[in-house]
Amino acid sequence: MERLLPGMTDTVLSLQGVTLQYGKLTALAAVDLAIPAGAIYGFLGPNGAGKTTAIRCAMGLLTPQAGRVLIDGHDLSRHRRKALASVGAVIETPALFPNLTGRENLDITRRMLDAAPTLVDRALELVDMRDAADRRVGHYSLGMKQRMGLARALLAEPRLLILDEPTNGLDPAGIRDMRALIRALPERTGATIFMSSHLLSEVEQLASHVGLLQQGRVIFDGTLDALSEQQAPRLLVTATPADDAHRVMQAAGFSGIIRDTNRFTLTDPERVTPERAAALNAALHDAGCQISELTLDRADLETTFMTLTGHAEAQP
Amino acid sequence: MINVLIAEATKMRRSLVLLVAATPPVMVFALGVLVVASGNAPDSWTMHTMAGSAIWAFFLLPMSVIGVTALIAQLEHGPGTWSHTLALPVPRWQVFLAKALVSLGLMALVSVAVAAAGYASAMLGLQLGDEVVMEGGFDPSMAFKLYGKMFIAGLLVMAIQWTMAMRFRSFAAPVSIGIGGTFVAVAATSADKGLYFPWLMPVNVLASESGRGDLAVLMGGLGGVLVFAIAIAWLSRRDWG
Repeated sequence: MERLLPGMTDTVLSLQGVTLQYGKLTALAAVDLAIPAGAIYGFLGPNGAGKTTAIRCAMGLLTPQAGRVLIDGHDLSRHRRKALASVGAVIETPALFPNLTGRENLDITRRMLDAAPTLVDRALELVDMRDAADRRVGHYSLGMKQRMGLARALLAEPRLLILDEPTNGLDPAGIRDMRALIRALPERTGATIFMSSHLLSEVEQLASHVGLLQQGRVIFDGTLDALSEQQAPRLLVTATPADDAHRVMQAAGFSGIIRDTNRFTLTDPERVTPERAAALNAALHDAGCQISELTLDRADLETTFMTLTGHAEAQP
Repeated sequence: MINVLIAEATKMRRSLVLLVAATPPVMVFALGVLVVASGNAPDSWTMHTMAGSAIWAFFLLPMSVIGVTALIAQLEHGPGTWSHTLALPVPRWQVFLAKALVSLGLMALVSVAVAAAGYASAMLGLQLGDEVVMEGGFDPSMAFKLYGKMFIAGLLVMAIQWTMAMRFRSFAAPVSIGIGGTFVAVAATSADKGLYFPWLMPVNVLASESGRGDLAVLMGGLGGVLVFAIAIAWLSRRDWG
């Protein structure tokens, strides 16, 4: 597994063989993850895969039965305070005290961190929430709560920022704004970002690294490019008459044919090559088929993700 | 630790906790004024102070403890802020100790306010009522000792209710325990075994039998400190999934 980009020599968060069981149910099975400094790490997995559980282990809220968590080189179980001093987190919902103003919420955390009062204004500025800081959180929209939660996480000037589903529940404009904010954070704050998401497109747009979790097991941990290479190329063909085109494809020896009316996706890894694509084009032409599309490409992240997690699309 | 304590106290700002805490003194004051002004005043200031403290010990103290501890815990349970609070690089025992001290501090303030409300209600009632007289005068040191002993004897109940409220997300568990305990205390006030029943310990401060009040203060106080210490250690170590 590829773990570091050139220039990334430091690992901010490391889960090593982390195992957590609830009775007979294995929530996390020997999870190994390494989050390089400077990365935006997208942590993906289907619902119930164990993403939030892994994050809770990384924050010391759950104690694994085996394995260890290292944050900034500190073993979380032995040096909890030193380890967590490098971390800011928004876990699940942006949980804030609704009876208090945004500023009061931040000030509570600032006091507990024993940090300088000026950090509150800095954090508010980073998330563009200064104007709303003195309003009660109970009157905030979800997007404002997300921003305020992020501001609170930034108070510790963290090396590692953990965001659990940061765009969950936001409208499209809110998602766009939050995405822009997250994208800008590494440069503005120097923080490494570890974010879980079920929105594959979001991770695809933001992340430099990706971890895939399936039923408590890591099935991929590496760069986004390395993930794309996991998927064999595919051939996308749109041709009419569709039945004739289908017969030609079968005669040409293609086996993995996914048909959607007159659009075909050919996934046979042995046969999807530029030479075979050219030969298929000629065969379809000779059979009198009208070809409006013939594209050789790699699958997008969603297809790769679905394939790796065993949820590949079924043939209609 | 001071910063953590201030942070925990700040969380109560504009919350229902303060409204609940203000209710007992208001009720004692209103009831006291009505009783005294209507001509049904006790014969003496001593009796008046004892009557007010009895209502407090039997009913309002345990009810206030239920409300205050449950609502302080709900400040975290409600919006789901435990994950944030307990993932901060602060020793967890400090967080829970601060929460316990805030709860105890608020209950101490309520105790003082109830004692003051008893005095103020009699003063106003005497002004409003026709020819109402109470013998003697208000004895602040007696009231202070009485309510102080009840507070110490009530520490065990406070510790039990606080632990239940912190542990369970739902109101149901601490409220059920509190109502059940109060009911048993009212129904079995003079039972021999009542000496060891946490909800009767503040009531036993008023007992005329020799030693019963002092034993209640001793058991309630020591028991409360012990249960708080065990609860803080346990809550600090448990997983918060």
